[in-house]
Amino acid sequence: MAYVVDTAHVDPVDAQEYMRIVETEAVPVMTAAGAGFVSCWGTSPELGEEVWIETVWSFADHSEWNQIRKNMVLDPRWYQYSEKTARLRTGGTRRFFYAAPFSPLA
Amino acid sequence: MLRRFEIYTMSEGAAAEKERALESAFRRCGDFIPEMLHSVVGKNLSDARVQMVWEHAYESPEAYQRYMVHPFHANILDRYLLNDCPERIVADSPLGDGTLVGYSCEGPVYFMDHGLRKVVLFGLEGTAEQQGSFVEALRGLATIQDGVTLSVVEPNTFGVAWFDGVTPILPPSQWTHIWELGFSSAETYDAYQQGDSPLARAEASGWKEDGCDAVRQAVELHYTVNL
Repeated sequence: MAYVVDTAHVDPVDAQEYMRIVETEAVPVMTAAGAGFVSCWGTSPELGEEVWIETVWSFADHSEWNQIRKNMVLDPRWYQYSEKTARLRTGGTRRFFYAAPFSPLA
Repeated sequence: MLRRFEIYTMSEGAAAEKERALESAFRRCGDFIPEMLHSVVGKNLSDARVQMVWEHAYESPEAYQRYMVHPFHANILDRYLLNDCPERIVADSPLGDGTLVGYSCEGPVYFMDHGLRKVVLFGLEGTAEQQGSFVEALRGLATIQDGVTLSVVEPNTFGVAWFDGVTPILPPSQWTHIWELGFSSAETYDAYQQGDSPLARAEASGWKEDGCDAVRQAVELHYTVNL
């Protein structure tokens, strides 16, 4: 299994709305496209600093990701929620991770 | 072979270092995916509101499909391009589905290792005869114009078939044809553009001259090639 880890940086006042969009719009689109929804985590919005929200999707291998990618970019809803989340983000990263053999989540 | 162009408009405020990273990723792609051939990253010098052109090719649809599933594609290139990526630096294109265009060819008819590349995306309409005679006039330019090293015109079959390179998965593109030319230098390009050949005059008029009835829309890009 491999994982796509999106880390979004948002203003604390936007954190709840960002997570709402992930839950109500991104998860339906990405899971319909074939990705697994693994987790969505956020740092505390009460520390006087930017909130980091990490969303993790899973896929079997890069052939499967290629299919998922096709399905998501052919779904008009993907463009809609992408625009909404982009407006709320101040920065962030996307990285692909591949589990170490001893990892309990492999 | 599959000939392919990715054409990008940068987002307002895109960091220069990220633009350089994307350009570098395009340039390094062949180091990781040897199936990718004749890769050139061009900085568009025309007035069209696009900044970066990545031209390249694949020997076959199978070679293209290996690019599609390669981790470098998903990990590095998509990082800067996909709409949902936090690091996206490109904007929705003023060319619409002209972001990705290409065609099939028997061999590397497009190849040039240095000079100036001119690419015109056309949306053609009208009768087959109108389109055919216009396309033949474009194709013939290399045989009659000094400094033009190649002139290729092909239907844009790739844009709607981007998943496997051959099977359409989208409605027909607004950009029906691609005209790509090679000029031996920027000077020969300028001389052609400012010259009085029928095609140069037609282009300068916005493709409104006689013989251009088939042209519904066109956009021109040009950039330096130095392999």
